[in-house]
Amino acid sequence: MPVSILVVDDEPDVAVLFRQQFRRETREGAYVLHFAFSASEALERLADEIEPEPIVILSDINMPGMDGLALLREIKKARPELPVMMLTAYGDDERRRRAFESGAADFLAKPVDFDVLKGRLRQLHTSSI
Amino acid sequence: MPNISIRLRLIFLSALLLAILAGSSALLIRELVRDSQSLAEEAGLVSVVRNANSASKHFGDLKYWAIDSAVTQLVSSQQAAELAKAALASDLQAISAVDPAVVAAIRAEVETMTKLARQAAVAYSSDDSAAGNALLARAKSYIMAIDDRLERIVERIEQQALARRDASTRQAELAVKLAIAGGIGALALAFGFTALTVRSITVPLKQLDRGIASITHGELKVAMSPSGVPEIAAMTRTLGMLRDSLIERDRLERERQSAEMETRTARDAAEAALHDLKAAQTSLIQAEKMASLGQLTAGIAHEIKNPLNFVNNFASLSVGLLEELTAAVEPGLRSLHESRRREVGEASDMLVGNLQRIIEHGRRADNIVKSMLAHSRSGGADRETVDLNALVDESLNLAYHGARAQDQNFNVTIERDYDEHVAPIALVPQDVTRVLLNLYGNAFYATNKRRRETNSGEYRPTLTVTTRDLGKAVEVRVRDNGGGIPPEIRNKLFQPFFTTKPTGEGTGLGLSISYEIVTKQHRGTIEVSSAIGEFTEFTVCLPRGLEPKDTPNASA
Repeated sequence: MPVSILVVDDEPDVAVLFRQQFRRETREGAYVLHFAFSASEALERLADEIEPEPIVILSDINMPGMDGLALLREIKKARPELPVMMLTAYGDDERRRRAFESGAADFLAKPVDFDVLKGRLRQLHTSSI
Repeated sequence: MPNISIRLRLIFLSALLLAILAGSSALLIRELVRDSQSLAEEAGLVSVVRNANSASKHFGDLKYWAIDSAVTQLVSSQQAAELAKAALASDLQAISAVDPAVVAAIRAEVETMTKLARQAAVAYSSDDSAAGNALLARAKSYIMAIDDRLERIVERIEQQALARRDASTRQAELAVKLAIAGGIGALALAFGFTALTVRSITVPLKQLDRGIASITHGELKVAMSPSGVPEIAAMTRTLGMLRDSLIERDRLERERQSAEMETRTARDAAEAALHDLKAAQTSLIQAEKMASLGQLTAGIAHEIKNPLNFVNNFASLSVGLLEELTAAVEPGLRSLHESRRREVGEASDMLVGNLQRIIEHGRRADNIVKSMLAHSRSGGADRETVDLNALVDESLNLAYHGARAQDQNFNVTIERDYDEHVAPIALVPQDVTRVLLNLYGNAFYATNKRRRETNSGEYRPTLTVTTRDLGKAVEVRVRDNGGGIPPEIRNKLFQPFFTTKPTGEGTGLGLSISYEIVTKQHRGTIEVSSAIGEFTEFTVCLPRGLEPKDTPNASA
């Protein structure tokens, strides 16, 4: 059973970056990556029940339209058990505090350290099994 | 003498003095008249006495010549007797006024006596001696009677004259006494009335004068008693009006002064308020400018950070990809020609080197961006209660050794003036350390620059670090004896990206971040004073009362 993740970011290059970073893992079948380029797209895709179902959502905060924190609250309303990790360039305490208050599983600052991220994902995966 | 004018008083006084003069003169004249009258009477009496004596003498002549003519029958004797009789008659006429009856009796007896003498003469001429003697005897009896009467009348007249003289002497003495008493009385009266009149005028005048004097000396609360003299009363009223107008003027002056004082106070207050307002406005503008510059800087940093993240991420990815690529093409390379293989190897090495440079410069850019982002933080870091002197000294050592490591020639004399009684204070140690490192670094840079520019042994670079406990705040002063900061750039010091250092040596963010840390994060102040060619001193003031902050999410 591969680890399925949904990455939400308005920057298209984020998808490219994630695909390259997880190139080996996706080739080996350990990870399946899904991408959404806005919060509303993310909510639509979750409602469509994408396969395999993501065990974690990684979301940017600053996005046009609905922002990452609003998305976090929406997901927590519909799927309280689904972990959401926030990734943002704005690593300030205020956003951090609000993210954790809204039920974020983690809060990582950009640029993303992929070794750290992979470690966190492994932790989530083992705990979810 | 109420309500009588000075003119009337003087007229009255003059009239009174004239009356006194006239009275006393009349008295004197009267006495003189009486004196001269009694003197005239005396003179009259003297002539009467003389006439009486003359009468006695003429009667003696008459009786002699009458008897002689009777005896001798001589015509000359008869004539002498007639002359004496005539003289006696005129003398008797002169004194007849004294006692007319006696004088008439004397006249009758003289006639009888002369008639008897003539009869005796007739008798003797007829030689009738007996008859003549008898007639002469009778005549001699008459003579004796007349002598007696004349003697008595002369005596009486003399007595009258004496009495008259005594009386006139007494009268003269009385007149002298009266004249003296009258003169003295008139003088006393005149003096008394003059004094009374003068006093009735001078007393109110003196009161008026006192009033004028006290008003002249500014004493306006003097009482103005109304005078009985109309002219002075008028002057007193005028003076009272003057005094009242002066009092009114003083009151108005005081009001004006107090109004002026109020105006001045209000103006001063307004000016002070305006000054404060301007100062507040200036500092507000400065704060606003700094805040907006900070926001702008942070905003720019965020905008740059995202693409920079991609650059860095893709660069590191590319290194891995290149390694994979190199490993993948390794077997195929071996079949290539020696020179082609070297070309591919060189290109591959250059590619790896370029990626390393991209990563390196990306990291450098990332550090600048992180510094810029420091502007956007809002005091989220942990506050700790620390020993300020220890913090100041640790960062000083760090800065000094850092500077020594960079430049072997660097040297500076460090003077520490720490207030031993600085109580521990709550602050964010790493951020305050950052501020201090900035200030020390700038100071070292300034002294080093001056040392290189003066290039003589006389200049002794010195850094003085002072700490003071101000009670509600603590103060750190960092003073260097470098070249100083020109006044025209002092207000730009805290702006982001403002730097006087050559490109690459300073980002221009050190002081702007220090400003944010001190003013925003610690609610303190940072000020600079400097004199060209003498010194630069930064004063950081951090208030107490900011409690160590709990940040529960910091560990999550």
